[in-house]
Amino acid sequence: MNEHATHTDLLIQYLDGELQGEQLETIQKDIDENPASREELESLRMAKEATKSYALKSRISSIHHEMMHEMKKTSEPKTPVIRMIAQYSFRVAAVLILLFGISSLYQYITATPEKLFSENFNAFALHETRGSSTTILEDLYEKGDMKTLLQQFELLKTPRGNDYFLAGNAYLSTRQPAKAIETFLNLQQFNRTNNTHFFDEDLEYYLALSYLGNNEPAKALPLFEKIHADPNHPYHEAVSSWFLSKVKKTFKNDR
Amino acid sequence: MEIRKTLTDKSLIEALKSDANPDEAIRSLYRTQFSMTEAYIKQNSGTQEDAEDIFQEVVLVFIEILKKDKFRGESSVSTFLYALTRNIWLNELKKRGRSKLRDQIFEKGKDKTDMDVSQLIVNRELKSELMQLVEKLGETCKKILIAVYFENLTMREILKSLNYENEQVVRNKKYKCLKQLEQMLAAQPILAKNLKTVLFYE
Repeated sequence: MNEHATHTDLLIQYLDGELQGEQLETIQKDIDENPASREELESLRMAKEATKSYALKSRISSIHHEMMHEMKKTSEPKTPVIRMIAQYSFRVAAVLILLFGISSLYQYITATPEKLFSENFNAFALHETRGSSTTILEDLYEKGDMKTLLQQFELLKTPRGNDYFLAGNAYLSTRQPAKAIETFLNLQQFNRTNNTHFFDEDLEYYLALSYLGNNEPAKALPLFEKIHADPNHPYHEAVSSWFLSKVKKTFKNDR
Repeated sequence: MEIRKTLTDKSLIEALKSDANPDEAIRSLYRTQFSMTEAYIKQNSGTQEDAEDIFQEVVLVFIEILKKDKFRGESSVSTFLYALTRNIWLNELKKRGRSKLRDQIFEKGKDKTDMDVSQLIVNRELKSELMQLVEKLGETCKKILIAVYFENLTMREILKSLNYENEQVVRNKKYKCLKQLEQMLAAQPILAKNLKTVLFYE
């Protein structure tokens, strides 16, 4: 060890409080009288403090990771239940959406005019419009006796507007769409001739359904589009965009 | 079952000031104070990561203040740490160039603390440079110096954990390592000059 190193070692020992007696007095005198020694001692003290700060920072950092882990674990018991419920709900929702998507796709792919007719046809509800006096056809319609109703209708020499409409629905109920179309077209003609408006809007919808039932989607489509385009049409809500797209799809297949 | 201690302010301060192992006292600080820092930082445009970084600095600064007997005990530890958190975060925002937000937060809470913000800014940056300097020491040097000056281990205890012939060799190694660090500091006179102010006169 050279002389300078020994001097530094003594300064470090002084700094660490390891000197006693004559050695302490000698180095203390040197520090008091020699600015270079004082400077070196200050630098060594700074290095010592730097080491302490560094060690403390490292220790805090190490405890920090430990504590973050501990606090995460402590706060976990509540969250997994919520998280699990949320995850479960999301999964159920995802499955339902997927099933809905698959179902919709299946419906779209497998849509045929007849199928669309079957899914959407509900016989006209007579009680909503009938007045105090009823005809025989209205009574039969209300009873659901479509066969007798049609027999009676065919016997009529001059059917009225109501008769045509009920007969058209009876033909649809008994799955005779071609006859239904003919009857509904006759009612349109009747209305034009007599300048009447029997079941004007109902007629459009049921005629369109009749075309579907008769596998003529190309004829049904303009009627459905007209209903869909008119928000005030009583059957507007029954003709959704999705329904229209399915009708169009069957129309394309038809072509 | 694990028993987790929450220390009183007095016992906490004593534990952190002494040269004994401060680990349990630091853990206690985390358990009682971290959520406050976390909430404050997040409410003032910080992230979870910011909150964790700032809290580590808060703990470091607090312990150093205690060791220098600068904590007058006029407020509770919790209040003092809140003030520290706020000031360190304001300094961080300033460092990041978000002075408008810093001013808003400062205005909002300026009556809540009397800490010297500008001094803290200087301290933080200088200390960060200082840490980087120590980091450059070899692993053995760091181990020996930390064992001596932070863990207060005796030469005999250090000899047991490090593979040296005898205590004198460890002692010589300690001198060499401290001298090496002192020379690294001396090689950066501006940093050294500023550090003297921070470490000894703050």
